Amino acid sequence: MLRNRTGNNHDKTKVIANVVVGKPDVKPSAPSHVPGVFQGNHPHAGERGKGIHEVDGAYAEGTARRSTGIRPKAHDVIDPRMPRLSPA
Amino acid sequence: MTTTTRAPTTTGQRKLVSMAWDPVTRIIGNLGIYTKIDFDNREVVECKSTSSIFRGYSVFLRGKDPRDAGFITSRICGICGDNHTTCSVYAQNMAYGIKMPPLAEWIYNLGEAAEYMFDHAIFQDNLVFVDFCEQMVRETNPGLLAKAQSTLAPNSHLHGKRTIADIMRAVNPFTGDIYREALEMSRLTREMFCLMEGRHVHPSTLYPGGTGTVATPQVFTDYLSRLLRFVDFAKKLVPLNDDLFDFFYDAMPGYEKVGDRRILLGCWGSFQNPDACDYRYETMSDWGRAMYVTPGIIVDGKLVTTDLVDINLGIRILLGSSYYDDWIGEEMFVTEDPLGNPVDPRHPWNQTTIPRPQKRDLENGNYSWVMSPRWYDKRTKDHLALDTGGGPLARLWATALAGIVHTPYVRSTGKSVQIHLPKTMSFGEMDLEWKIPRRANTLERDRARAYFIAYAAAMAFYFIDKALERVHQGDVKVFQEFKVPDEGIGCGFHEAVRGVLSHHLVIRDRKIANYHPYPPTPWNASPRDRFGTPGPYEDAVQGMPLFEENDQDNFKGIDIMRTVRSFDPCLPCGVHMYGGGRVIHRRHVPMFGGGHDVEE
Repeated sequence: MLRNRTGNNHDKTKVIANVVVGKPDVKPSAPSHVPGVFQGNHPHAGERGKGIHEVDGAYAEGTARRSTGIRPKAHDVIDPRMPRLSPA
Repeated sequence: MTTTTRAPTTTGQRKLVSMAWDPVTRIIGNLGIYTKIDFDNREVVECKSTSSIFRGYSVFLRGKDPRDAGFITSRICGICGDNHTTCSVYAQNMAYGIKMPPLAEWIYNLGEAAEYMFDHAIFQDNLVFVDFCEQMVRETNPGLLAKAQSTLAPNSHLHGKRTIADIMRAVNPFTGDIYREALEMSRLTREMFCLMEGRHVHPSTLYPGGTGTVATPQVFTDYLSRLLRFVDFAKKLVPLNDDLFDFFYDAMPGYEKVGDRRILLGCWGSFQNPDACDYRYETMSDWGRAMYVTPGIIVDGKLVTTDLVDINLGIRILLGSSYYDDWIGEEMFVTEDPLGNPVDPRHPWNQTTIPRPQKRDLENGNYSWVMSPRWYDKRTKDHLALDTGGGPLARLWATALAGIVHTPYVRSTGKSVQIHLPKTMSFGEMDLEWKIPRRANTLERDRARAYFIAYAAAMAFYFIDKALERVHQGDVKVFQEFKVPDEGIGCGFHEAVRGVLSHHLVIRDRKIANYHPYPPTPWNASPRDRFGTPGPYEDAVQGMPLFEENDQDNFKGIDIMRTVRSFDPCLPCGVHMYGGGRVIHRRHVPMFGGGHDVEE
């Protein structure tokens, strides 16, 4: 169904059904392609979150490492029975 | 409203006058109502509804990254964009095989509950009530206003308005205190929404797999403190609505026939239950029924089905009076669903939008850009023109009849819905009960809206309880990783504020091969289909009696407008198209990572 209006590769205008749609100016992912910038939708991007430990598929715990990289253990709960609440 | 009158025509014994309202005001989008009225007998004889904006999101979604669908479809509407995002996420979750974490589901539910509270309250109090306010009633029914002055409001101890005329004065635009308080409340409910979904009305924190909202105790308590203030207002609003609409029934016998149509209601369900919902098509019947607003189709007052698979397979997109070419013969994307059931060529999964612009012909030809969505009833082989009752009527009706929802705050009894609201600043605990009405008419659509505001608020208390329960255990998981498959299909079912919303998605080569969002107004505003069946607006207006006291020269059409607005019409979901590939405006957007020229 997607086809070039003139049938060649130089003209990027497309005809969808009988509607001529323009040439896209920007790739949706353009800014994330800058070297050194995380791509939010990169596979395993979620694993980069420091201090979030998945317990099972439906439940994950957070530690003080989520909030700070400076001596995070000193900021953790003082009693292991206490819930680790999210920073806010 | 814009009114035009044309010369009377004589059909048989009746003298008919053509009158049109185009565009209908106080709604978004472009809706025209064209009628033929018999003023001698005070009756609307014929009605046609038109829209003059092309609807074609399905055209330019093709070939895009499916993960963008939620963000793109959100821009369909500046009123219910978040409903589209949510529905798109549901459809994508199915296509990618995601089960969202429970905490994310509660956050979605809280965001959508805030949206219902916001939108219903502002529409009812600031837009619908203009048709019922003192100023309007004085202009259209002075005799009724005189009666309202001397009629005491039965619930005055709750809302503080002594007579019905006092209620009408309180909703006068810009000067009435309820009108102004509703505007203030709309700010509060928007804040609640933003706490959960990041931004109103195009959410920034909803995407397939979950949400970016950080689930802290504070975000929920901030929501709760605003909810309690809003519920204080809702406790006044519901009895005030009851008093006003009951007065109309009492003061104008026969008013129940205004906007009355055969009971054909559709509700696609809202508020997922994370205990049941895994977004698999194979189990959709079960998790659909576990929703906190039960999906259902009601025909002549009977619940035909609550099964989302049945609902999905029965959807047909018909033509007949619309500016499109037929797509039969084009590519079929889905021939059978994951359960092996055959899928019709006129199902949204298989639709190809082929616009054919043409001159409007109201007499014998095509007259609208809206297609005619219908639901195929396999028992009777009828293509039913379902309406949404403006959203709340169908939601409450389906939930009440199904008798499934049982929470501490909302209970379905099989014939009513009981809503329990906890103690707030000015009121103690309050129990409300919405009972199934005898008719689906203008006043019942409006009344249901007030009750659904209370429903959404009551459910929000439940969602906060459940979310905080998890947070207090230390749960922080709001997102589930996923991979986009090379091929897949998905469907999302949700309730936009004004009724049924479905998104149907087909993925090929990791790109969108087909995508069709079906919001509520295409159902409600649909024109006559190829069988000649009128759409719900047309059906509700045709044959209705007129109670307006004005003569033909000063006719405002208040009863017709009340009826059309009772459906909460909203038609922005079209696409404005420029012809000839002209560059309208070019600007430069500096972005980190390079500049991009953007054409507008």
